[in-house]
Amino acid sequence: MLEIRINGFGGQGSVTLSHLLAQAAVENGEYGQALPFFGVERRGAPVRAAVRISPTTIYAHSQCDLPDYVVVMSEKLIEAAVNEGIAESGTVIVNAPHPVAVANHPTWQVDADAIAREAGLISGDGPLINIPLFGAVCRVLNIPQSIVEQTILNKWPNGNAERNLAAAGRAYHTVTRITG
Amino acid sequence: MQTAQVVMVTGTHAAALAVKSARVDVVPGYPITPQTGIMEALAGMIESGELDARFIPVEGEHSAMAAAVAASAAGARVFTATSANGLLYMHEVLHMASGGRLPVVMCNVNRGIFAPWTLWADHQDSFSQRDTGWIQYHCSSNQEVFNTILQAFRVAEQINIPVMVNFDGFSISHCLMPLTLPPQEDIDRFLPPYQPEWRLDPAHPSSFSNVTNAPEYAVFRRMLADDILDAIPLAKQAAREYKDITGMWDGDTIDTYRLDDAEVVVFAINSMAGELRLSIDILREQGIKAGLLRPRLVVPFPAEDIINALPRNAQVMVLDRNYNFGHPGGILASELKSVLFGRRNDVTVKNRVMGIGGVDLTRRFMAAEIRAMMDE
Repeated sequence: MLEIRINGFGGQGSVTLSHLLAQAAVENGEYGQALPFFGVERRGAPVRAAVRISPTTIYAHSQCDLPDYVVVMSEKLIEAAVNEGIAESGTVIVNAPHPVAVANHPTWQVDADAIAREAGLISGDGPLINIPLFGAVCRVLNIPQSIVEQTILNKWPNGNAERNLAAAGRAYHTVTRITG
Repeated sequence: MQTAQVVMVTGTHAAALAVKSARVDVVPGYPITPQTGIMEALAGMIESGELDARFIPVEGEHSAMAAAVAASAAGARVFTATSANGLLYMHEVLHMASGGRLPVVMCNVNRGIFAPWTLWADHQDSFSQRDTGWIQYHCSSNQEVFNTILQAFRVAEQINIPVMVNFDGFSISHCLMPLTLPPQEDIDRFLPPYQPEWRLDPAHPSSFSNVTNAPEYAVFRRMLADDILDAIPLAKQAAREYKDITGMWDGDTIDTYRLDDAEVVVFAINSMAGELRLSIDILREQGIKAGLLRPRLVVPFPAEDIINALPRNAQVMVLDRNYNFGHPGGILASELKSVLFGRRNDVTVKNRVMGIGGVDLTRRFMAAEIRAMMDE
């Protein structure tokens, strides 16, 4: 069983990102679970969501305290996210405009802000970074790009998926393993 | 022939899909976190015509249960849902549903009770309604929530006693997981339309729940006390027949995991019992013969099934997500001790309260707690 924790700020779309990852796992023939943590937080407060992927039924119902992967939606949260808990050799996937390496952990970096802006994925609050991060995390997890696309098409079936597909695809191909 | 379909849904949506599959007639509803998703989904299904039922919006939970009682007495199949303080606000009318022998089915999405305010899971809400004469199930996964609601309608309508289907707020209610939907024709075979033995009908006026003299009152209460025990064999039968039709099984009155040769038996309910399977695996890797005994049915308490399932000389670790105020520990432990007394003197029982107000219960934490309890 793979455990993933998403650390972000309220409003960045971590709930949808967790749902997309669990849906992609199921689309890929595995068992998936998304368990966002809902608090009394507001927009801008730190939030987290748990995702599990397994070849067999998932019985766990806790938040991921020592996940195999930590997805950090903002560079500002790297330290807090890692301190919250990660498996000993756990991987960190960071949204940052430049290469970032986290000590003692394999690190991947993707510029989700720039990719979202480039694809026209912008709301009143700024770029919609959860879609490029979805593509990037799937690449790191070796989930085929066709599964990423199918998952997006399942979620937005009425011809509204074009910009999402472009952003997820761009992130899938540009997420980079950083050698610290 | 139709085949089963798999969908990705939250626990609340799984509950709403079960209610739709049960072809309910009336849904009185009032929102409260973390239950609201159930009412939202059902209101949407009714509005779109996907579910042919009447939605009754009310101004509070006391009225929600009053509307459920009235609709059920008029012969309708009725569902509603609530959580925590909403359940407490219903308390008086819960007695009216059970005393009136009305087979209402309700989901209670477990949440800690005010004060102070909390949004997250614990079981004080449903345990505080233990003595209302409702049958109570506790579920440990989205799929079990779906399956149990259908089994609940069947048991409720067989003995005219209302059923509360409990599952944890957020850890199940807001958890997105795959759900297998059996073909509707199979569900219809398992749960035929409700045929009330009696109903309120303006064309044939009759009185209902009138004032009684002491002897009649005592007879009615005695019948409820006796009949609720029939939920035990009926819950077993419902689980077996549901399995025969759909192929799905969550246990009957109890569910077990690695129990046969267990020396340390963990006794817990609801979502933490799912996570506990992983704790059991950790303990087994450490050389401890651990197993899980999870009651699905909590009211009535399946005494004989528990007594028969416990291995000889077991150390039973009861993990309670509630307090039994005035006693050390939790209510589940008291329930268990009361049925073991004089019957299983070979067994020892230890108890800890944990996970109150949604404190996260990880597999590693619970495995460590169980190890610590062994040394006590």
